[in-house]
Amino acid sequence: MSSAGEIWSTGADGPYWDGLADGRLMLPRCSGCGHWHWPAVWRCAACGSWDHEWQQIEPAGQVYSWTRNWHPFGGLESLQLPFVIGVVSLEAAGGARLMGLVEEAAGPVKIGAPVTGTFTTTVHAGRPVPAIHWRTT
Amino acid sequence: MKPIAGIAAVAGVGVRQHRRGASPLPERGVLVRAIIDACEDAGFDPARIDGFASYGDDRNEPVRLMSDLGTRELTWSSQVFGGGGGGIAGAIGQAVGAIATGQAKAVIVFRALVQDNSGRLSAAVMAHHLNGHMMAAGLVAPAQVCAIRAQRMFEHHGVPKSAVEAFVEAAYYHGARNPEAVAYGKDFDVEAYRSARWISEPFRLLDCSRENDGAGALLIVSAEEARDLRRPPVHILGVAQGAAAGWGDLLENDADDQYASAGFRSVARQLWAQTGLTPADIDVAQVYENFSAQGVASLIDHGFCDYETVGEFCRFENLIAPGGKLPVNTAGGNLAQGFIHGIGMPIEAVRQLRGESANPVPGARTCLLAGGPGAPIVSSAIFGTAETV
Repeated sequence: MSSAGEIWSTGADGPYWDGLADGRLMLPRCSGCGHWHWPAVWRCAACGSWDHEWQQIEPAGQVYSWTRNWHPFGGLESLQLPFVIGVVSLEAAGGARLMGLVEEAAGPVKIGAPVTGTFTTTVHAGRPVPAIHWRTT
Repeated sequence: MKPIAGIAAVAGVGVRQHRRGASPLPERGVLVRAIIDACEDAGFDPARIDGFASYGDDRNEPVRLMSDLGTRELTWSSQVFGGGGGGIAGAIGQAVGAIATGQAKAVIVFRALVQDNSGRLSAAVMAHHLNGHMMAAGLVAPAQVCAIRAQRMFEHHGVPKSAVEAFVEAAYYHGARNPEAVAYGKDFDVEAYRSARWISEPFRLLDCSRENDGAGALLIVSAEEARDLRRPPVHILGVAQGAAAGWGDLLENDADDQYASAGFRSVARQLWAQTGLTPADIDVAQVYENFSAQGVASLIDHGFCDYETVGEFCRFENLIAPGGKLPVNTAGGNLAQGFIHGIGMPIEAVRQLRGESANPVPGARTCLLAGGPGAPIVSSAIFGTAETV
């Protein structure tokens, strides 16, 4: 597992963090049955396979839900209030959803709004965390 | 399968609630007070307590309570997984299981929280869940996590804001009439609610429960023993904890039909199956609301209404004691009574069924406790008077 993975990982998602560091969105697909698993798993519960292919996905999707945050929660001093947090669903990855900051570039955010992402970092508690930042299109 | 009803009952309750940061004692000291209160309530020798259960990463290991309580022998202790309030009814269920199998005879279910000792609850809950995916998204607080779910409930599923407003108004109505509530004596100003500062849309300030210092305890013994103690026993008729497939700590990838829920689908199904009851059989409900919309989602999950009927069901007059169709949060709930990680909710369930509530529901025989909504593991319980067993 990469150093990024060791810091931020929830477990089986090391290649996701490696991908972000390289400016690529990588998501896992079961080698046995083709099921997209997100969050990443070690074992596919559908077919029992332990093998996954990490595939590169275009960072483009639709807003599944969102919140516009106004309260200065600790650790987010680097972000200007208010900011929008979105959950973005990716058709190209079987509807897998990613969380991310959303810039309202094309009008106010709403469910179903198309978004595209760029690779960057979010500073949390003084530390840069690899991130995809989304913007409405 | 042996039915749960008839195994165990709540024999006594105790609670000490203080303003956040203003507890006169450190956490364990307040907890000992609450436990002794519960024992005195029941007329029960605290030295006879032999089991303990808690939830939400409570840091007060039961073995450390033994000296103050005079515990003769600790035979059982346990805690429900999860950092939030999802395990609150589950802890009661563990106590019932321990009593049913003879592992313990007298169990204290407790939760204690004093900021000077344990820090802010919201931070503790998030420390349990926080990961790089969330940090990268600026998603670091329970209010934000619940706000995103609530937004989809409103915008996609069409739940009317009026339903949530009525739920909040009912809590404050009850709190205003409960001398032990933080909202006691304060009239609810709906305009102030609607114009309060945003926290994380769709939540404004009064949609959010705010933490108190304090501790609460419930003494649970066998149903048989409870009959001989000082207070009328309040029986545990059913209790369930867990999660359905497609629910949990899934980086916002919960199943589409569960995403905007409070997570109780499987738990509610178990509860109704265990008890043979239906939502129509519930006289009053204590519905844990960390945030307003999650309380309404919890009512939907338990089958009191659905996305189509929630606006009609959640009207203010339906939700208040004494005459509402389903009075909810009759002490004021986490929003208006006070928030010691939800332990006030089962305590109000007990008081309500003993006829001691500040907002009594006359003749109430059954009370639902819906635990912390939106948590990866959630739990619920149904309490009943002696005549329901």
